[in-house]
Order: sequence, then structure tokens, then C-alpha cells
Amino acid sequence: MFDLKEQIIDQLKIKNLTPEDIGDEEPLFGSGLGLDSLDVLELIVLLKQKYKLRVTNAEDGPKVFRSIKSMAEYITEKQVQTA
Amino acid sequence: MMKVYIRSAACISPQKTFNSTSFLDKLVTYEDNKLTCIEPDYSEVIDPRVIRRMSRVIKMSVVSAVACLKQARVANPDAIVTGTAYGCLEDTGTFLASMVEQDEDPITPTAFVQSTHNTIGAQIALLIKCKGYNNTFVSGGASFENALSDSMMLLAEKNNANILVGGMDEITDMSHAVLTRLGLYKRQPVSNINLFEAKSKGTINGEGSAFFLLANSATEGDLACIDAVSTFYKPVDITETTEQVTSFLAAEGVDKNDIDLLITGNNGDEKNDAVYSALQHSVFDSIPTVNYKNLCGEYPTSTAFALWIGAKMIKTNSIPAILNEGTAIATPIKKVLIYNHYQNSYHSLILLSAC
Repeated sequence: MFDLKEQIIDQLKIKNLTPEDIGDEEPLFGSGLGLDSLDVLELIVLLKQKYKLRVTNAEDGPKVFRSIKSMAEYITEKQVQTA
Repeated sequence: MMKVYIRSAACISPQKTFNSTSFLDKLVTYEDNKLTCIEPDYSEVIDPRVIRRMSRVIKMSVVSAVACLKQARVANPDAIVTGTAYGCLEDTGTFLASMVEQDEDPITPTAFVQSTHNTIGAQIALLIKCKGYNNTFVSGGASFENALSDSMMLLAEKNNANILVGGMDEITDMSHAVLTRLGLYKRQPVSNINLFEAKSKGTINGEGSAFFLLANSATEGDLACIDAVSTFYKPVDITETTEQVTSFLAAEGVDKNDIDLLITGNNGDEKNDAVYSALQHSVFDSIPTVNYKNLCGEYPTSTAFALWIGAKMIKTNSIPAILNEGTAIATPIKKVLIYNHYQNSYHSLILLSAC
């Protein structure tokens, strides 16, 4: 999850935060990190570029991008499926 | 054209022009073929959550625009008009490079969204919550002049209005490499102190952002008035250029002897500077002259920087020593003419006067 946090910080150019500052279950949107809809697109591209994963079902979005933990679980689950 | 009043001006440039109490009292020297801006701490003005998506030209523009409004004590202008030739070039380069690197697969959207030229005016509007007229002029070396003309026409139509107008362009590594290869800039580093003595091909690259709050009524603190702005494109020869300048002055009812100071866009490129030299032996003969591109470099909207120094010189009734190499200049400085051309294609004249 540390690597994922680093990748998100880099992708979203968040300069005032380190991976340690982001809680595993902290909400990415709203009261948590405060990300917005444009950031969702950045995260989708990140999954595609770094993990070769596509979020094909739009209804999965809110669940996948809820927190770092949910993103990490989604990545692990998909990697296991394709292994 | 109805004259307009410059309420305030703010400029970020390769010199110490931003939030400085002095007026160009010391030249910042460079030994390079590009001059990049001295940038302030943006986080004092822009929310860190917003700043992360902004490229350099957006940050420079937003901060200079906000400073300009603050000086004029105007929270929300009636319109925002910007002029930029390159727009958000860094973001354009980023998404084009990503397209190539990712083999045209989906790329990060932020750089694409932010790459349009009107992002700058839009970001300023979003920050100050200005829902008024918002327009961006992208017309090469006449971008700032067209923004200025539009602002003046808007002010002529509307009473008691104030308009925020600015010109900005940025250097990126990619554009600098490409334009150097095309011969625009000198191949060897040059000192900006000796730019006009270089007498060789090419100039030095530059960048900057300058904003002005314009109004159609006078107040005591105004910096200067803009009497007129005019542009012409690709004159056939120096005779046509001379005729255009003569016609402009005649239309404004100005004799060349009325002009206290001429600001010209000499940039150290032999071919470029030959145009100014020819005019200084004819229509501009005997007018005291200063050059400005040794301070900011060459870029398509450099006349925004020239307007900033012109307005400041009128307001302070002084010419910084770094601009004046011993030319005898009459004081008070009541009338200033800015004449610039960009690659002998985009020519412009801006006439300023004391209020």
C-alpha cells in the first residue's frame, strides 16, 4: 500500500503529503483527501498504466476508489484472477 | 479609440518586478540564451489543493492577476481578458509526450484539460469567482495587443467598468529546444547586459506575465492612460512599416516631437534590430529611446512587460538606470510610445500618456 500511496501522490502531484500522512482507510474523496472527479480519471489511468487494469463496470467505481485499502484490494483481487 | 486608465499593474518577469518596492533599481543578470521568471511563493495566494494542477504559466498569471486586483482594491472586475501565444505550453507538451510514451493509450486527463489557452483566464475567474466576460486572444505576437484592444472597446461601450487584462507566455524545455533549433535563439550563452552588442543571429528566449486593471474613468492613483493601440501584420518592406507608424501618429494627432520616450523591442538579433534601426533614422529620429528585452527576453507577449515599464516610468516620472544608457530624456515623461515587432510579422504600437 505504501507503493500505491507514492504512486497516487506522484500522479496527482500532491506536494504537501507523504505516504505516511495518508491513512489506509481514509476516504479519498470528500472529507478525506479531498479528491474530485478529475482525480478519479487520473486514478483510472494510474491503474491502467501501472497495473494494466481497467475498471470496466462504472458501478464498481465508488467501491474501488473509496480508500487506499479498497484500491489495493481491487488490484490484488484482479492480479490473482489474471495470474 | 477612447483612452483608458491603468489603475494598477503587476508583473512577474526575469527581473525583480513582483511585489518590489523599488522600480528596476538593479539588473538581474543572466549568462544564457533564455531568461526565466523570478517566481514568488505561490502558496501564499493559491490553495495547495488547487495549485497542484497548475503549470508555471497558470501560477504566474493567477498570482500576478490577484496582485493587480489587490493593488486596485477591486475584488471582482467586470471582465477578464487575456492574451497568450503559447498558452499552457507545459501541459500541452506533457500530454503530447504521454500520448507517444503510452502508445496512444488513455493518458492522464489533467494535462489535456489544462492545456487550452483559455485555462489561464478561466483559473483566474474561478479563483476570484468572476462570472463576467472572459475572453482569451491567441494571435501570435499580437495576442496581448488584441486583448488590450478588446478591453478598450469593452470600456468604450460600458460606463464605470473595470477590466482585468493580461499578457503571458512561458518557456518550456521542449519549446526552447525546438525554437533554438529553428534559429530563433542564439546558440551560445550571452550576457543580457551585452545583448544589444552581440550583433549576431538569434535572440534570447524570455517569458513573463503582466496584468493591468483598466478603467474608463480617472482616479488620483492611476499609473497612466492608454491612448491607443494598433497592430499591423507582415509589412511588405520598411517603407510600409514607416507609413503605418506615421499614419498611427497622425490618427492620434501626435507629432514625433511630442513623444518624450520611445520603448522599442530590439532583441539583439541582427535582422530583427535592423527594422528598429531604419525607423530610428526616419520616423523615430531624435526621439529618446530605451530597449527592454535585455530584461525579459523575447516572447510573443513581451509588450505586456513593456507596458508595465512604460506605465511605471510615467507614474514615477523616472527611468531606471538599467534601461537608460545615457540618453538625455526630458522630464516630466508625459507621452510614451511602445513600438515592437515579433519576427517582423506582428508589429504593434501602444501610445501611453500621463493622466
